[in-house]
Amino acid sequence: MGAAPQQASPDQRVADFRKIFSRAESEVARVIVGHREVVRKMLTALFCGGHILIEGVPGLGKTLMVKAASETLGLSFKRIQFTPDLMPSDIIGTQVLTEADGHREFQFKPGPIFAHMVLGDEINRATPKTQSAVLEAMEEHQVTVFGTTYVLDPPYIVLATQNPIELEGTYPLPEAQMDRFIFKVVMGSPKPDELREILSRTTGTAQARIQPLFEASRAPRAIEDLKALVREVMVAEPLERYIISVIGGCTPGGPGAIPEVSQYLRFGPSPRGAQALILCAKVNALLAGRVTVSYDDIDDAIVPCLRHRLLRNFQAEAESVSSESILEQVIKRLRKPRT
Amino acid sequence: MDNPVETIGIASARIARLAAIRVMLCAVAPALTAIALGVLLEPIGDVTWTQLGYRLAPERGAVLSQALIGAGIVVLAVGLVVALRAYRHANDFVAAAAELDDRLDCDQEIVTFATLADPSAPESSRARRTPLFPILWRRAIALFVGLDVRREFRLEVGEPLKRSSIFAGVVALAMVLATLGLVRAPTPENTEAAKLRAIAEEIARTSTSSDDSALAAKIREAADALENSKLPPEEKKKRIEEAMQQADKAAQKRDNSRSGKNQGTGKSNAQNGNGNGKSQGQGNSAGSGSGEGKSGTGAGQNPGGESSGSGKGAGGKNSGKNEGGKGSAKNDKNDQNKGDQSNIELHDELAKAEAQVETANAKNPAPNNQPGDDKNQGGANKPGDKNEQKSGSMPDPNRPGSIPKPGANGDRNIPSAGGNPKNNKDMGSNLGDTHLGEMPTSTNAQRFLKPGEKGAALDIKDARYVVFRLPGAPSSGSGGKPVLDTDRPKATTGYVNAPLAPSSDDAPPDERQLVPPRYRDMIH
Repeated sequence: MGAAPQQASPDQRVADFRKIFSRAESEVARVIVGHREVVRKMLTALFCGGHILIEGVPGLGKTLMVKAASETLGLSFKRIQFTPDLMPSDIIGTQVLTEADGHREFQFKPGPIFAHMVLGDEINRATPKTQSAVLEAMEEHQVTVFGTTYVLDPPYIVLATQNPIELEGTYPLPEAQMDRFIFKVVMGSPKPDELREILSRTTGTAQARIQPLFEASRAPRAIEDLKALVREVMVAEPLERYIISVIGGCTPGGPGAIPEVSQYLRFGPSPRGAQALILCAKVNALLAGRVTVSYDDIDDAIVPCLRHRLLRNFQAEAESVSSESILEQVIKRLRKPRT
Repeated sequence: MDNPVETIGIASARIARLAAIRVMLCAVAPALTAIALGVLLEPIGDVTWTQLGYRLAPERGAVLSQALIGAGIVVLAVGLVVALRAYRHANDFVAAAAELDDRLDCDQEIVTFATLADPSAPESSRARRTPLFPILWRRAIALFVGLDVRREFRLEVGEPLKRSSIFAGVVALAMVLATLGLVRAPTPENTEAAKLRAIAEEIARTSTSSDDSALAAKIREAADALENSKLPPEEKKKRIEEAMQQADKAAQKRDNSRSGKNQGTGKSNAQNGNGNGKSQGQGNSAGSGSGEGKSGTGAGQNPGGESSGSGKGAGGKNSGKNEGGKGSAKNDKNDQNKGDQSNIELHDELAKAEAQVETANAKNPAPNNQPGDDKNQGGANKPGDKNEQKSGSMPDPNRPGSIPKPGANGDRNIPSAGGNPKNNKDMGSNLGDTHLGEMPTSTNAQRFLKPGEKGAALDIKDARYVVFRLPGAPSSGSGGKPVLDTDRPKATTGYVNAPLAPSSDDAPPDERQLVPPRYRDMIH
């Protein structure tokens, strides 16, 4: 399978995108049983140019899933296990004094963050200082060490995981840092059938082998082309207004905010949330074979894009009102503009 | 259709036209209903309230008709304006695309295409086209294959007409309510005016000369005047008289035109009859008393002095005219006879109308009549008038100008204390009294006995007032010397002239013994 060439016709590029995406899902599914929605969101985040926060208990196959995706797409993969004593330099890298040809000089040793796909396991266990180092790299796609800036090679995606239990001694991500993830997906426990399949695959002698879609040398370029294609998908003005109304409807005191929003939320999504909505909707449109975004594409993206951007108040937590339920109410009540 | 932009444009124009038509449909029915009701108000009245015995005054009917027509025109104008606005509002390229999108179930592909291909949109919107736009263009073409805009956007008149019929019903209901508030049971004047108008119509329809047309116009004027409540009775009568004169003139000309066939006796009889009747009517209506002997009907119907005159006048005319009509009818052909009959009928109706005016005037005299201004009333109530119709001669106490004059008959209304002994027990007076209470009448007052007079002792117990009539000073003759009358009666028993406390000007007002004015002349 070759990369989608830039010179290809638009129709060919759209077709290639759908084919690559579909095949990537299939390849990951060779090693990951179930979690198709999580896999889809992970690939969507990759083509949107965003990062993804995965929440789930240990042992669900998060690391395996990310590793399988990187292998499928021919991208480099690194994994960082966050611990409280992890230092930023452990992630970013540091200057090391080396001697070559009789000269001693500091040489930059890049950390594990220098990869196309970085899995930050249990990111909430690291100190805020270390977390911020990662988050800066996520946003800027570059790191600065001793005054020297090093650019992270595209495509670059961070997949951070959080353990919803064992919260003692953890450092929950601040809202400002949570906002930098395009999606937050929740990995649930596998269903019985899926669990049986997992057991069958992992406890036998058979080894699933992943067929890469791109050669490693051409993969970054191919992925970047696909990312560019996503941004070429067109959005009509009425749909942009709808997205704006969604953001306003989720903001307490904002225009069109529903009562539940004002009652249970302290803060709503930022403009970054609107960007995430559009990008995700564009990927959804391409996957549907269209080059234009529809209302359904937006609605499908609302919950994964905005659920972690809503800051609930004490009442919502006391009454166990989830962000997802609030977002579903917003989707139900918002009117879709026609013109 | 290869160009999807043109397709959307056609759809936009059609949607706009349909929107305008729908708005106009909503407005047309109520507007046309109002105009039709306004135009056909009279025929509608002929088959509805007129059949039920009610009548819509012409001026009110005209106002209602004009209001309905005006309302219809206003609704039409407003509908036109709203339709124009609806057209402009609906003539939206993107909105039409959204409508197409919904109908073709295109997942906002067409509306996205429209936003990027809107011919009227600024260039910046076209700059948002991406390399994928050709796909969208082809997709739009594919979506529009087989699309018939006319069939897709049909003119559905059901809903607008339903809404429109509701508005039309409201207009009709408003018209009915307005009519219910305006119709009245016809007055005798209305009935008479209607008859006059019918005669005028008949004359106008069969008119052969300008005189007939003028007569018809005069009759119509008289009918209008008869119904016009703002006109004074004199003016109404004047119009009727004019119509009568015009009728006479027309009849005379018609008679003159019958050169050899007509006999002069019949014509002269008719004229004489008319003349006599009219003169009687006028004389009686003026209340001169010239027709008192023939006034049975007028006097019986109305208590006023005028009524007798009007009744007599009408009767006089009828008799005279009928005689004349008969006289001429014997000598004419059928058409001439017909013309004479209608002339008689016309005179009859005009006379009735005049009588109506007088009757109405008697019932509702002008409110600005001053006492003494009403000549008829004054003539009828003259003392000594030979007119024995007491019912007609009695002044109506409720009428203005009927207040009894103090000098003339005021004493009739004031009961006389001495005139009617039966009323002596009534110690009061209808003239009122002072705050001192009732006073004894002079006739029953006890008095002191004169010298040498014998009678019952004066019982002044419980008396509240005692009136003293003091004797005059004894005459001393010419140049004589006054001497005391030693023989004058002297009180042997002491009594208290209570409560005859000496009235003093120094006393406070509430303690003064005020004497009513009517008794002051008794104190010397």
